[in-house]
Amino acid sequence: MPKRLIAGQATKLSRTMHDIRYDAVNDELLVTNPFAQAIMVFAGDVNGNQPPKRIIQGPQTQMSGSDRLEVDTVHNEIIVPNGDAILVFPRDANGDVAPLRTIKGSNTLLRQATSVVVDPVNNVLIVGLNSGESSQAQAPREPNGAILIFNRTDDGNVKPRAVIKGPKSGITRINQMAVYPPRKLVIAAQPGPIEQMEPEGAYVGIWSIDDNGDVPPRWKINAGPKSEMKKPRGVVLNPKNKELIIADMRLNAVLTYYFPEIF
Amino acid sequence: MDRAFRLRRNGVALGLISLVGVLAAWVLFSGVSHRAALSADSQSHFRRPTGSAQLVSVEPLPEMNGEMCEWTPASASASLAAAFSQERMAAARSAMPADAGTSIVLDRPPVRSIRDPNPSFSAIAVEPKTNMLVVTDENLFQVLEYDRLDNTPPKAKMTEPKRVVGGTLTKAEMMCGVYIDPVTLDTYIVNNDTQDWLSIFSKNARGNVAPDRVLAVPHGTFGIAVDEARQELYLTVQHNNEVIVYRKMAEGRESPLRELLGNATGLEDPHGVALDAKDDLLFVTNHGSVSYRGEESSRGRRSFQKGSGKLNPPSITVYPRDANGNVAPLRTISGPKTGLNWPMQIAVDEERGELYVANDMDHSIVVFKTTDQGDVAPTRIIKGPKTNVKNPTGVALDLKNKELWVANMGNHAATVFPLAANGNVPPLRTIRGGPSDELSLMIGNPGAVGYDSKRDQILVPN
Repeated sequence: MPKRLIAGQATKLSRTMHDIRYDAVNDELLVTNPFAQAIMVFAGDVNGNQPPKRIIQGPQTQMSGSDRLEVDTVHNEIIVPNGDAILVFPRDANGDVAPLRTIKGSNTLLRQATSVVVDPVNNVLIVGLNSGESSQAQAPREPNGAILIFNRTDDGNVKPRAVIKGPKSGITRINQMAVYPPRKLVIAAQPGPIEQMEPEGAYVGIWSIDDNGDVPPRWKINAGPKSEMKKPRGVVLNPKNKELIIADMRLNAVLTYYFPEIF
Repeated sequence: MDRAFRLRRNGVALGLISLVGVLAAWVLFSGVSHRAALSADSQSHFRRPTGSAQLVSVEPLPEMNGEMCEWTPASASASLAAAFSQERMAAARSAMPADAGTSIVLDRPPVRSIRDPNPSFSAIAVEPKTNMLVVTDENLFQVLEYDRLDNTPPKAKMTEPKRVVGGTLTKAEMMCGVYIDPVTLDTYIVNNDTQDWLSIFSKNARGNVAPDRVLAVPHGTFGIAVDEARQELYLTVQHNNEVIVYRKMAEGRESPLRELLGNATGLEDPHGVALDAKDDLLFVTNHGSVSYRGEESSRGRRSFQKGSGKLNPPSITVYPRDANGNVAPLRTISGPKTGLNWPMQIAVDEERGELYVANDMDHSIVVFKTTDQGDVAPTRIIKGPKTNVKNPTGVALDLKNKELWVANMGNHAATVFPLAANGNVPPLRTIRGGPSDELSLMIGNPGAVGYDSKRDQILVPN
């Protein structure tokens, strides 16, 4: 049984949530509400139908479908992928707050930016792009998901310092990502085409943040009978126990792998 | 010969030692190292045993060039920095694959998994003439048919369904709404989030089969209601804040007949939908999360203005049955007295003039009058430990047998009550898909996962 259930009208959460981050430094939980274009920040020990401590929401935020987010506990920032832009807010922002920085423009290659993760030690911001597919697609399309790597403090219409995409990368679309700064690694959930319930080629891939171009992941766990994984959408690390934790949408399950190689 | 060689070698060695000695004396006595200053510095830093650690030397770090680690600000905890340091040491034990042209495949079984092996009942429909009861299972992605009169014995693990439809061919996954055609007994299955189809299965469908008919629908459909007299089908769409209406027999990529959508509608993360044919009304439950469209995109789907989001209270909004476009509700039921807390599916009893709402996070079924308006208390509440109502998301009415059916996502159970039930009353019957002593995990479409390192807990958004 769940240890805690954070749900209900007072939480201001939607019943549709696509990201959660734990801020270990400040003991806070961060969750998005895409329908209300809002970021909710809860006390770390929140339980039940309790209100958030802070809400970032309003016209100055420029948030549209705030589906996912990331928190940088070293530099005290919240980063939100926002379609064709990346928005960076102060971590302690509350209310209608303008972003500190915005990465946006034709040079950025941002489109369908659906996930983001920050490496505060190596100073990079890593963005996952969705494919833009529909589950009603009549014919398979060329996958156009990608991982874009920016400098952490980039602002404006800047080119990414690296782009990982292409057939060798195996990327169709990227969902949640995690980083392991000591080894300069980015871990990404690659759930495969949206229209396929149990897609071929779904995997969790681990790249170096120094990778660039059409490169396969350094390590990968494939979906399949051996891993039991079917459609991974979430990833997070537990470095203390050298574990990789996966949220699998098709299984409605959480799978934990012992993965010492990457730690 | 050997002796002469050794003597010559010893001579060279003595010469080198002498040279070093001369250089040392020059350094000490020539003043090159500023003896007086060195002496003073030595005196000032002279260390005596103190029994505790002492600063011995300070060496500045090289300049940062932006590619290396920056100083961690005071706001970051020391433990975080220590953790990074420890992990750097550990990392040295395992080499990074050097060749970026190939992957190392590390397929392995998980060491642990959290997964509910039982179905999670999300929506429910009943057809009283044939005693057909259908529930959707949002955990294992199945459509389950039971007999209306089934009743799982308390000690039994579950009741075996009469029919199961599920699998990758079904175009049915996050199933949150269901309707049974009273004539053909076709089952209409509404998908939310992952499959943008309305899937229709015949009474004979069984197992992993393609639907007999599909209709392409907008992303994020949730509730379903059907007007049999007019042969129209109503769906709520969470992601568009709309009610979309199709011909009942629509298929493929057929266009809708009309769409109720726009800033004036009060549709705010709509979920359940129900029709009152007697009074020509349309009822919708809303969770309250909303974004607004600009004037130029008033009919556009998901074209919300940036930063326009609001968090409003939950509500039940009431419209004319044929409302089309940006139509304001006739009435709204909302406010603290209503007790609404993530209101889900809704059903109307036209004869009694009552609305039945599955009130998810209140673990209750709340009943309002169809004429209610504003901040009103429910006329009846079915709630309490005897009811076994736990996270109800689906309701259905059997007006022939005067029964109210509830799909409980929280406990693998469908429970049925007398239509006039009130308070903490036991169900007439219960159909369980899992053991009575096991609550549902309620993990549904997890798009992410978090890890609370302080409490050693895994966080799963749904």
